[in-house]
Amino acid sequence: MARLTLERVSFWYPAMGRPALRDVSLAAAPGEVIALVGNVGAGASTLLLVAADLAPRVVGGKIEGRVNFRGRGKGEGGRGIVLPTPWTQLSGMAFTVWDEVAFGPANLGWPRERIAGAVDRSLAALDIGTLAARDPATLSGGELQRVVVAGIVAMEPALLLLDEPTAELDPEGAGLVWRLVRALAGDGCSIVVATSDLDALPEVADRVVWMEDGVVRRIGAPALLAEESVCEAGLATTVADVWRTARLGAPYPLTVAQAERRWRQ
Amino acid sequence: MAAVNAELRFEHVSFSYGTVPALRDVSFSLAPGERAALLGRNGAGKSTVLRLVTGLVHPAEGTVSVGDWDTRGRAPESLARRVGSVFQHADQQLFARSLRDDVAFGPRALGLAAAEIARRVDTALAALELTAHAAEHPYDLPPAFRKLAALAGALALEPAVLVLDEPTAGLDRPLRARVARALADSAAAGVVVLVATHDLAFAAEVLERSLVLDRGRVAWDAPLAALLTSSERLAPLGLAPPAGAALSAALDLPGRPVRERDVAHALARVAAARGPV
Repeated sequence: MARLTLERVSFWYPAMGRPALRDVSLAAAPGEVIALVGNVGAGASTLLLVAADLAPRVVGGKIEGRVNFRGRGKGEGGRGIVLPTPWTQLSGMAFTVWDEVAFGPANLGWPRERIAGAVDRSLAALDIGTLAARDPATLSGGELQRVVVAGIVAMEPALLLLDEPTAELDPEGAGLVWRLVRALAGDGCSIVVATSDLDALPEVADRVVWMEDGVVRRIGAPALLAEESVCEAGLATTVADVWRTARLGAPYPLTVAQAERRWRQ
Repeated sequence: MAAVNAELRFEHVSFSYGTVPALRDVSFSLAPGERAALLGRNGAGKSTVLRLVTGLVHPAEGTVSVGDWDTRGRAPESLARRVGSVFQHADQQLFARSLRDDVAFGPRALGLAAAEIARRVDTALAALELTAHAAEHPYDLPPAFRKLAALAGALALEPAVLVLDEPTAGLDRPLRARVARALADSAAAGVVVLVATHDLAFAAEVLERSLVLDRGRVAWDAPLAALLTSSERLAPLGLAPPAGAALSAALDLPGRPVRERDVAHALARVAAARGPV
């Protein structure tokens, strides 16, 4: 049974004539990592807001179609979203990073020991244990992004929605987030992530959804990111794009490793 | 484009946030027209360097100067005559009713004549291909376009020094290419361009020098290409080669190009020489 299902969903922001999503259908199974790729304005962020039940409930606007979410039952395992604007997601109630990450779990009414365990695990997973006593207001942009991801992950969501979660992270931080995504999927969490880090996706995503103008153009394996039409849209991996520019012929390799194998043949 | 050309100079600069040290004894200088990447791990001090350049904070020790101006004696609005900046989350900082008004804010604050303001705004909007959106409300546009508008606002100051913090975060390839062209044009006109970024692929396309900060100190100051072609140099600095440079190294392409189009050209040349792949 899919954890998240969108059936023929269209969505209009308030006072906008054109829909931001048009007739979008998508299902995310437990343990699945789905990557949304598209150019600016394609609708990936909007799809995440709809999946998080923030649009139209919080942002307003109008929706058609059906959105269905099933948690793990008994109030366990909700859905969590990491917005592309990490500083807007701070509680404003915490003077330390530890308390900030504990804010979500505490609001779930968990017992104290469970909260502490979840916070410590989450801080460790993002390698920010050393920031635990820092005031969130003093963090750099990238540190803040890790703290916000940690706060959402600490709530042990059944559905994790991520909007450009690595945009401000250094390569080590980005690697941590992508490994965490795979680990959470291994524990049965469904993950939908909008990202422009296309080169990471062959190792991270089970499926890739190519969006354009609010419409799902294609859904497929990460190999989609080396197809001609995707290259034309500017959404191929760097290696596929370089191979194509060099006119070395399709199918284009997706990753450096694939290119190396082709080259050595 | 720059009204004046000026060098950006850090001399033995240290800075702390309360008890948390951010920069220690940082020295470097950038000549007019130089394009530099400011790299390093999250928390290494990159944003602090940019804040010092704009005069939002002043050094605890040492000197930051833009040409013959010491930043210490100057507030940000005074430094804005020489320094244009775009900070992280610039897309949240627009406030005017149209993109054009937002871009005009800086030149207006400089007290320029109406015709000069109009000229600068038109030029800046055109440089980022935003002319068609000039009359739109900033918040009717996607955040990525607001980010470009913030950059247009900085360009419209016609500064001697342009500092940008993660200018490509949230931008797709076509928009990144616009930013790349605008920065290259600025540098060609003598503007000092300093970009704090984790996007090494973007850096490789546009920037030439690399300054890497490690725990508040300058750990590397040399041509960017020399850094990107060496995994041994990148790894200890918390950096990883972008895919183009990694491909170049993995296939041992001659000259180890790092810009994507150069990698493609080298690949095509070698492939042609050795027959079909």
